Amino acid sequence: MSMIRSDSEALIKKTMARFVDEEVIPKAREIDESGEFPYDLFKKLADMGVLGLRYPKSVGGSGGDTVLYCVAMQELARGLMSLAATTAMQCLMATNGLYLYGTKAMHEEYLYPALKGEKIGAFQLTEPEAGSDLGNVRTSARKTADGYVINGMKTWSTNGPKGDFHTVLCQTNPDKGLKGLMFFFIPTDTPGFSHSKKFDCLGTRSSTLSEIYFNDCHIPKEYCLGEEGRGLDVLLTILAEIRIMTAALAIGLHRAAMDDSIKYCKERVQFGKPIGKNQLIQAKIANMAVNLEAGQLMVDKVTRLVRDKKSCLNEASMAKYFTVESACSASDEAMRIHGAYGYSMEYSVQRYYRDNRFLLYGGGTHEVLQTTIARQYLK
Amino acid sequence: MGVWIDSELCNGCKRCLKACPYDAVAMRGDKAVILEHCTACGACIEACRQDAVKTDVVAREIPDFSDHRGVWVLAEAQGGELNPVSLELLGEAQELARTLGQKVGVILPGWDIAGLAPTLARFGAAKICLAEDKALATYRVEIYTEIVAELVAEYKPDILLIGATSRGRELAPRLARRLKAGLTADCTMLEIDPDEKILLQTRPAFGGNVMATIASRYSRPQMATVRPGVMQPCECEGSQAEIINHLVKVPETPAVAAAKVLEVVREAKRKVRLNEAKVIVAGGRGTGGEMGFKLIEKLAEGFGGEVAGTRIAVEEGWVPVERQVGQTGQAVRPELYIACGISGAVQHRAGMQDSRYIIAINKDPGAPIFSVADWGIVGDLHQIIPEMLTQMAL
Amino acid sequence: MKIVVLIKQVPDTTEVKLDKKTGNLIREGVDSIVNPDDRQALELALQLKDDCQAMVTAVSMGPPQAVDVLSEALGMGCDAAVLLTDRAFAGADTWATSTTLGKAIEKIGDFDLILCGYQAIDGDTAQTGPQIAEYLGLPQACYVDNIENVEAGKITVTRRNDEGYERLSLTLPALLTVSKITVAPRYPMMGNLIDAGCEDAAIQIWNAVDIGALNSELGMEGSLTQVVKTFSPKTKRAGELLEGDVPEMVSELLGKVRQAHLI
Repeated sequence: MSMIRSDSEALIKKTMARFVDEEVIPKAREIDESGEFPYDLFKKLADMGVLGLRYPKSVGGSGGDTVLYCVAMQELARGLMSLAATTAMQCLMATNGLYLYGTKAMHEEYLYPALKGEKIGAFQLTEPEAGSDLGNVRTSARKTADGYVINGMKTWSTNGPKGDFHTVLCQTNPDKGLKGLMFFFIPTDTPGFSHSKKFDCLGTRSSTLSEIYFNDCHIPKEYCLGEEGRGLDVLLTILAEIRIMTAALAIGLHRAAMDDSIKYCKERVQFGKPIGKNQLIQAKIANMAVNLEAGQLMVDKVTRLVRDKKSCLNEASMAKYFTVESACSASDEAMRIHGAYGYSMEYSVQRYYRDNRFLLYGGGTHEVLQTTIARQYLK
Repeated sequence: MGVWIDSELCNGCKRCLKACPYDAVAMRGDKAVILEHCTACGACIEACRQDAVKTDVVAREIPDFSDHRGVWVLAEAQGGELNPVSLELLGEAQELARTLGQKVGVILPGWDIAGLAPTLARFGAAKICLAEDKALATYRVEIYTEIVAELVAEYKPDILLIGATSRGRELAPRLARRLKAGLTADCTMLEIDPDEKILLQTRPAFGGNVMATIASRYSRPQMATVRPGVMQPCECEGSQAEIINHLVKVPETPAVAAAKVLEVVREAKRKVRLNEAKVIVAGGRGTGGEMGFKLIEKLAEGFGGEVAGTRIAVEEGWVPVERQVGQTGQAVRPELYIACGISGAVQHRAGMQDSRYIIAINKDPGAPIFSVADWGIVGDLHQIIPEMLTQMAL
Repeated sequence: MKIVVLIKQVPDTTEVKLDKKTGNLIREGVDSIVNPDDRQALELALQLKDDCQAMVTAVSMGPPQAVDVLSEALGMGCDAAVLLTDRAFAGADTWATSTTLGKAIEKIGDFDLILCGYQAIDGDTAQTGPQIAEYLGLPQACYVDNIENVEAGKITVTRRNDEGYERLSLTLPALLTVSKITVAPRYPMMGNLIDAGCEDAAIQIWNAVDIGALNSELGMEGSLTQVVKTFSPKTKRAGELLEGDVPEMVSELLGKVRQAHLI
């Protein structure tokens, strides 16, 4: 009997593409306008096993890896960035610490429900005084006899108000700076936990971002995720993956902007011919296509390096920087190709333009990324 | 086993490319080559004038079918009433029979059907075989297969036409398998090949993107189903028909015993989704509002189709949003799209220009909708639609 | 309960375009998909699996790449899959296809119910299902949109027809062709898709010898009908503006509409 088998990566891409075309794109405008997070779609993704793509079947995952995870996120971002961003976070930052360092009991109470879409996780890094500068994190974790007491605040927290549990970067010893950092697991129902109202933002309108506050939150010692003082290392184990996931989201958005542009410039007739026959429009399409192809190659390369556990933070930073800038330019050009219609809320290109701004900050600002990339060559 | 091209002999004329029904010939440089998905059908062999297409496929022998004669129609009746498609098929059968110099026959299974024979005769049947039995009052494919197969074996028709109704489409394939006969579904054109005297059956494939002509050379009867409304009935004055009453014996095969109809429910017209509609009548700004859309609804009803609107019509509240056609609505590709009072901005055209036929009715002769229409009428839809309704006797 | 679902890989005809110059189909870049009606048949089968632990086997005949539709079927939750692939199967009409699939089902042997889509979007013939039922001597119901229950060796279904619907009771084993069920078919699960790509996936590959068929009854050679030619239905719009007074124009228009068999 000969061995004939399907390519799972291609099948996952195709399945996600169909899901996005049938379920997400028809509702995207309505969801964006309502500002409500689409829990029904999120649950459907969970039922398909998308949330567990990176995790082994032993913890309720789908037994995939970063390559398959990023393929799925690319497609999802083509449909609706808020849904893609929240899903991507649930798959990675919100659950990875819990998966690696959580106890069996924590897995049962939080990880399995999270992968089934029944509980939502959030990841808390940024503070008013600490974004790229993590050494300045002020949220404190004070050791007690049986655990820790958390005090402080976080901001720009995706799913802050909606999350059921949080992975929070805290300072255990201000004297140690970066070496005192540690991640803690804090369920929302911990006494002393509260949040601000949802931020009003330009893009990803149906994501919920807010400030969250910890006021004497007592947590047991097993909620410390990893070895004390190694918080930065914990972050570094997934930083490349966070960046390449962000790049994958950018690729999806770029593709959406390009698909809409191609469709429009074939249909829109001016001076007796479709505007796609004009060389200046062709130049825009060519640039979009070349950048997309280049970005796709970077993402495909880095996801494989991450999967194979090769060091690739610099490559991931480059990919994130390049793809997000390309997507910015693509969504801008898409609006120009659409002319005044691009300015109308009736067309999706304006949403791509707004949503892409979100990617500029998540996973590292480009100003910082450019510096760290340059440092690799100037050291 | 297969087909290949002798590149020494090939002169690059591309006749084989055009002849291939499967798109399985390509040019490599100035020579033709046969591609992997070739089915060895041999169309290219006949087309090549250089004798460059070679094959090791042994030509299949065509058996002698001279004992099969007559163009027969399997008629359909329910509750003592003929399905109109049966008379349409008789009209086509007359044409085919004339070309072949053969006679038209009808098989009609059912209950309470004796009174239908004169109608069948008037519409062209020369031989009418009635299989009347109470057991056939309620249609079941397993019983009908047994009865009709028995009659076909007895009368040995050359051609057997069946209406592509929901019942015909279920019965025909089962019957064909029983008769070991080739069958072509949903034909839109039937003709007799002048040389071979066989039935050429043309039907749409690939969602209507391609027409395919099909022949059944190796079996009889040559069976085809035809959609209702495609053929024309043709009344013949004073024709006489031989009526045969067939004694029905319902055989007790396991399949016959296994199926039971519990309930038959007739329904009023069901809600059809826009992208499945065969005919769409759409209105735009030029309809002027609800009065105009009343006309559009009537016309749609007359065609058994659906109503749609442009973005403007939706925003004005003349049609619900689920009926919006265009870039920000739905893309549709019905058999017929009638655009009334629609100027045809690209945003609308993008959603309907793949329709098979397009009719445009608009006051402005310069409206872009006319550029995508098959037929256009420059005029006021408030005059034209009522006239259409009158002429369609609605 | 054991269910066999017959599925087909088809080109996404909504994407098929014609080459404006040659009138040929442009097949390049057109996605292959699970035939939509077959996806509904899969969903009905999997609902029976959910309700009464049915074991579901998906079967497809096609080129090696048709393994993808079987992987999707496994993704949706089917227990096993069989790919019938052989050069000898190519070019089959519905007669030869029903022989091939019929023989494969005979080889599977143990089944209570066969489900397939009402029709495939590349051919729209709706013939293969009934012809397999006849080949196997089974009762059939076409255009089924709901299974009411399965009890004591009988299945009760509703099926659509031109006038409304019928409720039927069929003794098992039986064959149903399925279309327009009320529930949207489920999407494949990621974990199942990953497993389907593995060497030890539950996919068997059978050729003509495996199903005990002779080449003379298969594919082009075993077919009773042949495609004589294909052509483009219509390449260009007539773009004709009708002339005359209103009754004249309307009468001419309706004449054309009738000629095109649109009324």
